[in-house]
Amino acid sequence: MKTLRVKLVVPAVAAVMMLSACGDSGGSEAAPEASSEAASAQLPNGMTIKEQIEARQGQLEKVGDAFKAISDQLKASSPDIAIIQEAAAAVPEATQGMADWWPEGSGPESGVETDALPAIWENMADFQEKVGNMQEAAAALNTAAQGGDMAAIGEAFKNTGGTCKACHDDYRLDD
Amino acid sequence: MTAGTAQTLVWDWTVRLFHWLIVLLIPLMWWTAEEGMMDWHRRLGLTLFALVLFRLVWGVMGTWTARFVPMIKRLGAVPGYVRDLFAGRHSPSFGHSPIGSLSVFALLAALSIQIGTGLFSVDVDGLESGPLAILISFKTGRDVADIHELNFDILVILIALHIAAIAVYQFVLKANLVRPMVTGRSSDVEPESTVTVRPVALLASVAIVAASLYAVMNAG
Repeated sequence: MKTLRVKLVVPAVAAVMMLSACGDSGGSEAAPEASSEAASAQLPNGMTIKEQIEARQGQLEKVGDAFKAISDQLKASSPDIAIIQEAAAAVPEATQGMADWWPEGSGPESGVETDALPAIWENMADFQEKVGNMQEAAAALNTAAQGGDMAAIGEAFKNTGGTCKACHDDYRLDD
Repeated sequence: MTAGTAQTLVWDWTVRLFHWLIVLLIPLMWWTAEEGMMDWHRRLGLTLFALVLFRLVWGVMGTWTARFVPMIKRLGAVPGYVRDLFAGRHSPSFGHSPIGSLSVFALLAALSIQIGTGLFSVDVDGLESGPLAILISFKTGRDVADIHELNFDILVILIALHIAAIAVYQFVLKANLVRPMVTGRSSDVEPESTVTVRPVALLASVAIVAASLYAVMNAG
């Protein structure tokens, strides 16, 4: 069956390529990438370790987007308060449930690419406290942003940034 | 090798000032980055942007020994020049030697990449960023910052090679290349061209740099 399909696909693809003169071979069936056993292991929350790591990276990238947006505006000669408010609101939303994003086994030992250091699981209480600090500071930043006072926003932004750094210094691979 | 009694001017004062400011600024850039002094890193980085841009413009409209075209023409002589060096024969060049030209192009390329990526780099927290990072996303800014970091290693390797080469000239070939970079003058070569700074060219170069610096600083 499979060979038959391939036989049909090849001339079809060739025809399409001749028509479009485009190098993209749409018909090839790539074998699924072999992932390590640890990476595909199920966590109690139903995600695989790989999914968990990618999910938290995605969420933290949203935080990075929001922080950059605020930082860009604070540096601008005439900051756009609407952009700051939208970004500040996105941070508490993106970091909801953050305490649960680093379950046992989702460190570098999983073989999945992550900058999370094993120190997280050795100092889980401290790590959790730092996550809590960040969420608190981010909530305060959001309140300040919605209030619209630029001086207060600048202050709250610095505080929140400090809580990001506090965690990254100890628990994230230095790059 | 024969020392003329007359001291020939080989490097104009802008080339020398550029060179030694770079020597001063690169360690400072490394140090401010290590210490997280990003305000200073940005300020000094913009200074470097201005300096390197000036040097690139000066390579087009500057004095003969600063210009890129004569240096490109000498690249063809690299194999022969290197063969001579290994045979212990060193004939001093007026301006950049063939291999020296290659070294300058590599160093200027690495410096340009370093400064270019620095303008767009974003730190891991999204707190600090280069003056042009406002034009790109957080993710792209992070990727650029990775190149910024990687390229610094390349720059350091090139600088190490540069210093090693100067040492070989000094101790093996008995040619002092440091003094001419300070005084501008050498007694080892005959002048092939004048290296007098033309005020019009200098003014035009500075104007180009000032305009570019203004544009970068007001991109936000």
